[in-house]
Amino acid sequence: MSDVAPRGAEPLVLKVLALAFTVFIVGYILVPILVTVAMSFNDAAMIRFPINVWSMKWYADFFGSPQWMDALENSILIAIGTAAISTTSGVLCAWAFQRFHIPFRDMWYILIMMPLFMPGVVLGLGVAIAFGGISIGGYAFYGSRELVMLAHSLWAMPLVFMLMEATFKTIDYRIVEASYDLGGGPVRTFFEVVLPLVSTGIVSSLLFAFVISLNEFVMALFLTDRDTQTLPVLMWLSLRSAGTPRLAVASVILALTVFTCLTVIMLWYIRQLRKVAR
Amino acid sequence: MTVSTALELRNVIRRFGTVVAVNDVSLNVSKGEFVTLLGPSGSGKTSTLRLVGGFENLDGGSILLNGQRIDHLPAYRRDTATIFQSGALFPHKTVAENVAYGLRMRNVPKDAIMKRISESLDIVRLKGFEARYPAQLSGGQKQRVALARSLAVRPAILLFDEPLSALDLSLRLQLRAEIKRLHDELKFTAIYVTHDQGEAMAMSSRVAVMNAGAIEQIDKPETVFHSPTSEFVYTFIGESCCLPVRVTSAGIEDKKGQAVGLRLGERLAEGECRIYVRPSRLRLISEAALLPNQLTARIHFIEFLGDLYRYHLKAGALELAADHAGSIGHGVGDEIEIGWRNEDMRVFR
Amino acid sequence: MTDAVRIDDASYETQRTAQERRKLLAPWILMLPALVIVLVFFGIPTVYMVRMSFNLHMDQRLYVPGFTFEHYVNLFSNPLFTNAILTTIKLALVASLATVVIGYAFALLVWLKPARWRLLFIGLALAPLLISEIAIIFGWWMFFPKNGLLSYGLLSAGLIHEKISLMYTEFAAFVGLVYVTLPYCFFILLSIFDGIDKRLLEASADLGASPLKTFREVMLPLTWTGILVAFSQSFIWTMGTYATPSALGPDTLWTMGFLIQEQMLGKHNWPMASALAVVLVIGVAAVMVVTRSMQSERTSFHV
Repeated sequence: MSDVAPRGAEPLVLKVLALAFTVFIVGYILVPILVTVAMSFNDAAMIRFPINVWSMKWYADFFGSPQWMDALENSILIAIGTAAISTTSGVLCAWAFQRFHIPFRDMWYILIMMPLFMPGVVLGLGVAIAFGGISIGGYAFYGSRELVMLAHSLWAMPLVFMLMEATFKTIDYRIVEASYDLGGGPVRTFFEVVLPLVSTGIVSSLLFAFVISLNEFVMALFLTDRDTQTLPVLMWLSLRSAGTPRLAVASVILALTVFTCLTVIMLWYIRQLRKVAR
Repeated sequence: MTVSTALELRNVIRRFGTVVAVNDVSLNVSKGEFVTLLGPSGSGKTSTLRLVGGFENLDGGSILLNGQRIDHLPAYRRDTATIFQSGALFPHKTVAENVAYGLRMRNVPKDAIMKRISESLDIVRLKGFEARYPAQLSGGQKQRVALARSLAVRPAILLFDEPLSALDLSLRLQLRAEIKRLHDELKFTAIYVTHDQGEAMAMSSRVAVMNAGAIEQIDKPETVFHSPTSEFVYTFIGESCCLPVRVTSAGIEDKKGQAVGLRLGERLAEGECRIYVRPSRLRLISEAALLPNQLTARIHFIEFLGDLYRYHLKAGALELAADHAGSIGHGVGDEIEIGWRNEDMRVFR
Repeated sequence: MTDAVRIDDASYETQRTAQERRKLLAPWILMLPALVIVLVFFGIPTVYMVRMSFNLHMDQRLYVPGFTFEHYVNLFSNPLFTNAILTTIKLALVASLATVVIGYAFALLVWLKPARWRLLFIGLALAPLLISEIAIIFGWWMFFPKNGLLSYGLLSAGLIHEKISLMYTEFAAFVGLVYVTLPYCFFILLSIFDGIDKRLLEASADLGASPLKTFREVMLPLTWTGILVAFSQSFIWTMGTYATPSALGPDTLWTMGFLIQEQMLGKHNWPMASALAVVLVIGVAAVMVVTRSMQSERTSFHV
């Protein structure tokens, strides 16, 4: 903005406004994050500012609590399951859209994308009433982690599909043809040539799906029971009863899990870039 | 069909919507033959090649490879190997892995694969590049790897899809000579698609000139060049000038009805026609005097092309160009005589 | 030789048909997992939900099979539900407007700033996207109350003399909602800005237009589609949410999402919850259709 020619007092006003807005937006985004991080190191049992004594007490409490650790485990298992289910189905579906002529293509496209635009509360309700009483071979489907994975896939799969549809369009189709030409059948070509060409898209898809599932709690609230409830669900229920710094710790753990994944992906991506440039 | 036929196309048809890309094409390629499909873009040459490779579906006719119908087989079950325009190397595999790919798909044993990799890279003179990735190769090297990758599987027929068009001129000439050398050495069977007539002439056993989805003429390069059977082939191969004229009882006039100083050795039937001559076959001034066909024309402008001068000439509404080694001592605006032999002229109506 | 080919013809035909069948079948095999997920876990539940909304609710049972419009009539006559519908629309409208305004300013700022700031700002905008809504709620939950950071900060700065609480106010709910939807708006708008040539601004300034005029005459028309998409995106999102307003807002702030959860998990009235969900989905769909049509009108106008 600095190279706008001076025109009276206007640029100065704009500069001040821009600065004020920058301060506002940075503060706005950082406030809940900083509050949470600070509170997680609080020693007291109450949510109260100022924080007088700092300690790691609540972290010890979190990792010592079977209930919270179970919830964390559930969350991670469900997130991994969602990532696997939605990435597999989304990638295959996007490949079908790229490679083949599909009758009523637009209709299928809309159908696959539709769940993404549905409120979580509606999806949760729908799946809960449809599968509420169902058990398969004595195994209660309702309340199981698998059902939550599939419900979360309703959001994650369309996202993966959208992402991969765009990614598949970027590959040089001659390379795929070259594989067929040299005798690679559709399956071997897909695994040996197509997937490596879109590996960045696949990894991003996995990450997206993982994060969506890890953070989601409305559908999970409808679909889990005491044994399978996820960390966000447990946090929501605890918040309704009483907030303690343990919740802040849970928030930090949840966010750390996401950022750890993100870092791993970044490192992988950088390695990938090096490989190409080598 | 004899035993030596490698590939046979019978009345092959390919449509894209209402456009007929390949219109009733029949073609025989003998073993060891190098056949070029030559034509402008949109002439159906690439579509024909892709039909053979199995990348497009046939709308009619049949394709036989070594006497077996293959048109129903997917690309991965055909014994063909394509060298693509871009090379289409697998970017995530090394040179050696690229070459090994087709062999692995054919379940060739490991030690045999190793042997064939080194053989193939030897042939294309890329020994020592085994561990490189495609991103580390130049354009010409990439095409050599593509060639080695296709040669390694020893296909019944090699399909070249304008493999040199993405390269610059000097590299193109160099690789062109190399492909020619390899064909002489290895005697593989090949179809080569190009729009570059120089490539077609230099490498081919036979050239098939394609236009509008059909083969206009197929013959040895020399025959195609010297005795084109159609107006399209004549104008597409080599440079030519077109003289549109009307022959009347009174003489020859241009399209505007003005008489031109054109004297032909053989009488033409009355009516409109197009006379074609090649700039390189025209003789000027004194050299023209003894030739049966002559035209008086004015020099419009002169281009210096290094080895020769190109005279752009006008006679009434007729325009043509003539090449001459060295200057003829006439300048712009001068009227000169041009002459040519009967065999250097074509008349189409 | 022709004979040899003739003999092949029969087996050729069978091979060809098999090949063609495989080609027709292949896309469906690839699409199968995705279609199973969508049809079984979205399609069937939707049908179930619509059917459920017409069932009876009697005694303390979850539902009694039957057919009645009672729940829909109730929905549009009982003030509890009509208020919830109005509250939902009002909240979504106001929150989306605020989100678009803030998101627009944020995206504009990032677009105008030198490139070295860009990554930092994008990282900042990603944070609310990567953090769970529940963690965001909790963050604000510690900021607004009497013993929260806001009250403490203002008191320490001497701006107020007594502890204040903004917790359980519409403002708090509003702040939380905007926070959650802001990144979507921001990224949609930033991608629109990135498609604009920055020299347009200089050109406009050269022609003597004031920054305000440049904004109105140049920037706004160019970014109109992005604004629409961003608005409808956050509108849809806020319509369906219930956690943030119910946790941060006053008890009177009952949105449709909250009532669905309340009817389902609290009151065990499945038909009523379903009827609410059906109306909510129709609302979301209506917003999408309206935005789509406005978008295409706009484009056709430009063409």
